[in-house]
Amino acid sequence: MQTFRFVTVMSFPRKRESREIFGFRVALCFPGMTSGSPIRMIICMGLCVLLLAAGCGRQQQQSHPLPASLTLAVGGENPEGYDPTLGWGSYGNPLFHSTLLRRDADLNIVPDLATTWQLAADRLTWTVTIRPDVVFADGSPLTARDVAYTFNTAAVAGGVLDLANLEKAEALDDITVQLRLKQPDITFIHYLITLGIVPERLHGPGYGRRPVGSGPYKLVRWDEGQQMVVEANPYYYGVQPAIKRLIFLFSGEDAALAAARAGKVDVLSVPSSLATREIPGMKLHVVKSVDNRGLMFPCLPDTGAKTPHGLAVGNDVTADVAIRRAVNLTINRQALVNGVLEGFGRPAYGPVDDLPWDNPAIRFKDNDTEKAGILLTEAGWLDVDGDGVREKDGIKAEFPIVYNATDSLRQGLALAVSDMLRPVGIRAVPRGENWDRIKNELVHSTVVVFGFGGHSPLEMYKLFHSPGPEPSYWNGGFYTNGVVDGYLDQARAAASFADSIPLWQKAQWDGQTGFAVAGDAPWAWLVNLNHTYFINQCLDVGRSQMEPHGHGWPITANINEWQWTCE
Amino acid sequence: MTTRLFFPSQWDRRTRTLAAISICLVFFAVIFIAAWLYGDQGQVTELDLRKLPPSWERPFGTDWLGRDMLARTLKGIRISLGVGLTAATCSACIALLLGLGAALLGRTVDRLVTWLADAALATPHLVLLILISFACGGGARGVIIAVAASHWPALTRIIRAEVLQLRSADYVKLARQLGKGPYWIARRHLLPHVAPQFLVGLLLLFPHAILHSAGLTFLGFGMPPHTPAIGVLLAESMRYLSMGLWWLAVAPGLILIVSVLAFDVLGNNVRALLDPKTLRE
Repeated sequence: MQTFRFVTVMSFPRKRESREIFGFRVALCFPGMTSGSPIRMIICMGLCVLLLAAGCGRQQQQSHPLPASLTLAVGGENPEGYDPTLGWGSYGNPLFHSTLLRRDADLNIVPDLATTWQLAADRLTWTVTIRPDVVFADGSPLTARDVAYTFNTAAVAGGVLDLANLEKAEALDDITVQLRLKQPDITFIHYLITLGIVPERLHGPGYGRRPVGSGPYKLVRWDEGQQMVVEANPYYYGVQPAIKRLIFLFSGEDAALAAARAGKVDVLSVPSSLATREIPGMKLHVVKSVDNRGLMFPCLPDTGAKTPHGLAVGNDVTADVAIRRAVNLTINRQALVNGVLEGFGRPAYGPVDDLPWDNPAIRFKDNDTEKAGILLTEAGWLDVDGDGVREKDGIKAEFPIVYNATDSLRQGLALAVSDMLRPVGIRAVPRGENWDRIKNELVHSTVVVFGFGGHSPLEMYKLFHSPGPEPSYWNGGFYTNGVVDGYLDQARAAASFADSIPLWQKAQWDGQTGFAVAGDAPWAWLVNLNHTYFINQCLDVGRSQMEPHGHGWPITANINEWQWTCE
Repeated sequence: MTTRLFFPSQWDRRTRTLAAISICLVFFAVIFIAAWLYGDQGQVTELDLRKLPPSWERPFGTDWLGRDMLARTLKGIRISLGVGLTAATCSACIALLLGLGAALLGRTVDRLVTWLADAALATPHLVLLILISFACGGGARGVIIAVAASHWPALTRIIRAEVLQLRSADYVKLARQLGKGPYWIARRHLLPHVAPQFLVGLLLLFPHAILHSAGLTFLGFGMPPHTPAIGVLLAESMRYLSMGLWWLAVAPGLILIVSVLAFDVLGNNVRALLDPKTLRE
């Protein structure tokens, strides 16, 4: 759930030489430096200068951008490659591939490859017909067999996608495909929306390095860690994009910013902390998102129980619902938005704020230390020894808040929340940790700053349904409520997506119980981010859809609508 | 000497040296006492007071979460000094043991220690530091072990040379001829010569250790990112430098330089006091 995954490279992409020179320079100079001989050092430095000069000469010849091209520094490099069956495109837009369905700017489900799609009365069989005229970027036709192949392959590929519920996908004829499920599951439609179709003929190991799809663009060149060049796919069946050539830069934050200041980048994603500044020739483009941040509480007491992998489970303090509610009531979410996000965001009250399946009844008044204090006192948490921290049965109201040490946004949230909780007598100790360690070791026994937010309610199911026999970071706090489980199961088994929405809402709060703060409060949701971009003043990027978790790449969702406005 | 620039010329050399030493000691005492007096204050976020430039109320300004930079800097330099002092002391002890061992325990040990020292000196310092601190799992402990394990070679060589020279000195040979045991010789003849070397070597290790521990934390191999260690503060300030928040870097950087210089002055003056050649100037 990393927010920004920038690849740290010292050089600017497109200038391949400079990195080689950098490596060369290091290699040459180290022996000179360590031996301490001044003559050798001078020779060494001279060589460096010569080499750099040679490199610069070559760079200048190269750096005339084609007028029709657009340079984006929005991250999005996938080290595993661009294979949809392994998960490419599941957060955001597959770009090289097209999907059966897609969501428009208002998140409505609209057809893309598909012409009709229908769930049978048994709720197990999807029948989808596709356009007959579609060809892949290499000119070969896209048939129902490719669709069936894509779904069957993704189901067994073992990537980040979980299509275990798919029994079989079968092509009935050239344009009709049937997807059979093992159990009724309306959230399966999410895969119709996000899974890019790959050609059966070309797919195989290594496909992710040279993807061929039927999307609006095709991959031309990918220098890993540096840049990717894509061009409009002449065979694309939809509206041809106005911008024919895109260059994605995969440089570090600082390098990308410097390139933008030099006028070499047209679309730049920046963290909110940098969005307050000005870049000449660029305007700020702010996109609302469901990319949220919140605290996940361990909901079980620490009884010494362990997971099958031997990890500690539970925390005696956060197992008390009064503590979890008090934390929720105390936090001043608007102050977090203003202070930590520089105003680029909005308070978060649940995991799916403002999505169609959000339940507006779960909003509450926060920044209410008085109510939180009463709640804690009634639950028996009192500060008897006068050290400013409440106790109950000899246990201090104290827990660690663990955050990803490389993410300054989560660090800021953890520190600010910790300070907000002090006045009510709860001591939250921020702790920076390696993300892998958090996800794989600490998640069941500590309070963790997490980020989620997707375009499918399946995420809500995974976060709040009782965990299965193999616990993971989804519902790592072991939240269990039979009523909520019932609603979530019913919602998944619903006959249509529209029918499932009231059930998703009831799982949050049905008037009696739910995972909202008035109910069991297994989370303290903090903020929803706004994703901030600097874009060329001459570029019109249309209306961006509410972005999922994952800042950067999702902005390309409507890239075929982008246009240059001045010339 | 630098001390001549700062003190009245009618003071003699010894007074000036003593004055320099006491000023350095007072400086360090002030840092430790002030950091202790500040308590928790430097760590508390005040989201309404973010990114304030230096003023009378907040001489070092505030950072991106509204934390007071003066308090953070003082705490930071205290952490860096603590880490540096511990690491330098460990390193000097390693150097003492290895140096004595090389000089006294025979040719094989001598070769081994000399080879180790050469190997450690030949490895790029920062690479060695990063490797060791990473292998030790980071944190303050990792930094201390890394700095301690990489700073001993120079002092080891000095101590080894000193002891070797003493062993071949006429009065030591004479003492041995007179039937004095090795412990008596060690206590009466070696210790008084080695102790000052050790002390000065230790003092002159401090600035290196402090700088290197700050460097390690700057690169992100040391403390958790909300610990106000000087390296962490400087690394954090990098993000905001281009936005014009210069005070985030200037204050911690200045304090770091001043502390390192103070240790250097302290070491040089103590050496002047202890070294028989300059003792009576």
